[in-house]
Amino acid sequence: MSYSNKRLSLVAAACALVSTHAFAEDSSLTNPNISAVLDGFYQTGDRGLGGRNEGFGLGETELAISANIDDMFYGKVTAILESHDGETEIELEEAFIQTMGLPGGLGIRAGRFLSDVGYLNNQHLHTDAFVDRPGAYRAFMGGHYFDDGVRLTYVAPTDLYWTMGVEAFKGDKMRAEDEHGERDFDTVGVYSAFTKFGGDIGLSSSWQVGLSYLRNSNGQGVVEGEDEHEHDVIADDDHDHEGHTHSASYTGENTYIADFVYKWAPNGNYKYQHLTVSGEYFRVNDIFSFEEEHDHEEHDDHGEESHNDYHEGWYLSSVYQFSPNWSAGLRYGEVDTFEAHGDHLDAQKLKETELSLAWHHSHFSTVRLQYTNQKGTNFDGFEDDNIVTLQYVMTLGAHGAHQF
Amino acid sequence: MRINSKTLIAIGALFSSFLAGSANAQLNVFACEPEYAALSQELAPDAKVYSATSALQDPHQVQARPSLIAKMRQADLVVCAGADLEIGWLPMLQMKASNNKVRSTDNGLFYAAEHIETLDQLENVDRSMGDVHAKGNPHLHFDPSRLLQVADALSAKMTQLDPDSATSYQANLAAFSEKWQKAIPQWEEKAAGLKGKKVIAYHSSFRYLFNWLGMEQVADLEPKPGIPPSSSHLAKLVSRSQEGDVMAILFTSYQDDRGANWLGERTDLPVIMLPMSVGGNDDSKDLFSLYDSVISLLTEVQ
Repeated sequence: MSYSNKRLSLVAAACALVSTHAFAEDSSLTNPNISAVLDGFYQTGDRGLGGRNEGFGLGETELAISANIDDMFYGKVTAILESHDGETEIELEEAFIQTMGLPGGLGIRAGRFLSDVGYLNNQHLHTDAFVDRPGAYRAFMGGHYFDDGVRLTYVAPTDLYWTMGVEAFKGDKMRAEDEHGERDFDTVGVYSAFTKFGGDIGLSSSWQVGLSYLRNSNGQGVVEGEDEHEHDVIADDDHDHEGHTHSASYTGENTYIADFVYKWAPNGNYKYQHLTVSGEYFRVNDIFSFEEEHDHEEHDDHGEESHNDYHEGWYLSSVYQFSPNWSAGLRYGEVDTFEAHGDHLDAQKLKETELSLAWHHSHFSTVRLQYTNQKGTNFDGFEDDNIVTLQYVMTLGAHGAHQF
Repeated sequence: MRINSKTLIAIGALFSSFLAGSANAQLNVFACEPEYAALSQELAPDAKVYSATSALQDPHQVQARPSLIAKMRQADLVVCAGADLEIGWLPMLQMKASNNKVRSTDNGLFYAAEHIETLDQLENVDRSMGDVHAKGNPHLHFDPSRLLQVADALSAKMTQLDPDSATSYQANLAAFSEKWQKAIPQWEEKAAGLKGKKVIAYHSSFRYLFNWLGMEQVADLEPKPGIPPSSSHLAKLVSRSQEGDVMAILFTSYQDDRGANWLGERTDLPVIMLPMSVGGNDDSKDLFSLYDSVISLLTEVQ
């Protein structure tokens, strides 16, 4: 017994000196978590809304370092390397500090980080069961929305999981198009509020639902008056939605997101088989204001009608891991958006049906084959395309804990 | 000085009871595995104990699911095996639960493996070796003397967090230790015939048990830790099994029986499922009956 007591006091002393030891055994002052994610693919066609392009390519190559800073703060830096049109871009996806010692279930995150709205947004792309984010994410969140800002969260001390949070962001990526560079944008452009509930049903099932609201003061686009409008000049492909960008392609002033996820595993044992069903719905309101130049009566009619327009998108995804080595997924999603052409809005629609089959040699390596059918209506020239993608996603270094 | 302590404690207790939604001062324990839930219950019978996993769940692969975040948010004490067993999900829970009481081993966090000498520690770990733990094998609860050391340290931790109940923790530890120390020679006597027996097992789940009882695991159903049995690997095991010295093929409650059964059918060796923890079979209702059950299952094969 004296042995263990001695050991205990040694441990306590060590913890007092190096409290990083206390949080996670894998990271310490001299040994932060370092990880890299390699993502490469071959694809037979172009995917809409900033998805992957035809041919060989690299996805997001991710480099991340994280560790406890001291007993109060945790920090993480994630750099993304992307190769696009022959150029390698480096972008900081995360560079944040997170409080670890606040009482009462409170937490603050500051810096650059992934917004916690919706279900998928705060998860890293390489944890997805499909090659690209659903169309709704690519349309309204720029794939996944990360930005410079601050977040406050609260977790309630209840058996039913209940968390709430508010965020404020710079919002540059969520700005509406500003062709003439003449708009006055708010410097804190995006505010969000979200809440999530979750729990278990028996031994085998777990669930979570969430509601989010995102206020984007710079999100409303401007439709110009008839004088400046020339139909013939603005062709579909003038709008660079195919181009590589992390910015949202379609914006509005108010975004509402509803999400759910349900997971099932026999007796809650995720090792051999488990099923995940998830879905999200996005509605983006107040998408355009009309710069008025024609006569009143006409404007009122037109204006009222157009103000009821909104962007909308959703997806439903189901992934079944039927052995430790194999998983299959099916996802269907739609995006309905409006594009301003002169003084009027053109409706467009994209439907995606996706089927993926993945082979996992271990937790750290995945090879995925995915078939996508995308059907577009007035959507950047996409009509009815079939795309096949072969992709690998592999993780080096620290064992990344994945969120529910 | 006179107003202070008692009034402050009273106010603090009132305040924290509002926050916790309960006036019960008993410890709220979050155990990562059922063996530590059972041990916590032995040492603090009045505590509110929650087990994050069952014996039917692989603790390497737990999801940081909402119900666990909610439970950890309310915990005064988190008791885990440690040695990186929960590395895939515990840090995420700690981050999400925003409970500063259970963040540090200075306070309400307890890793069993920090209080004993683990077996099979590795100097260098590489992923090509599979999902191995550099800090040694974390499945230490099948070593009775190591478990007793852990009980000792856990009792001290409970006393640190809840000094008012110090005497009751001491009494519970004394009662448990006495009963446990009496049981050890009985188990050893019953298992005497197992000494030197060779088995094929799955993962290093029973490393400490074999070490204690003097048994030898001559082959592993997993080609590498965390890599499921492959047909080519199993085929190799067939020839090993046919050397005639293997007593049985063992796997545990959360492991797939297919590889074990496949090998059993080809070698005519008995295939036995041993409970990994309390609740792993009908007989294992606490730590004592878990040990009883495991030793009975093994001795019945002989």
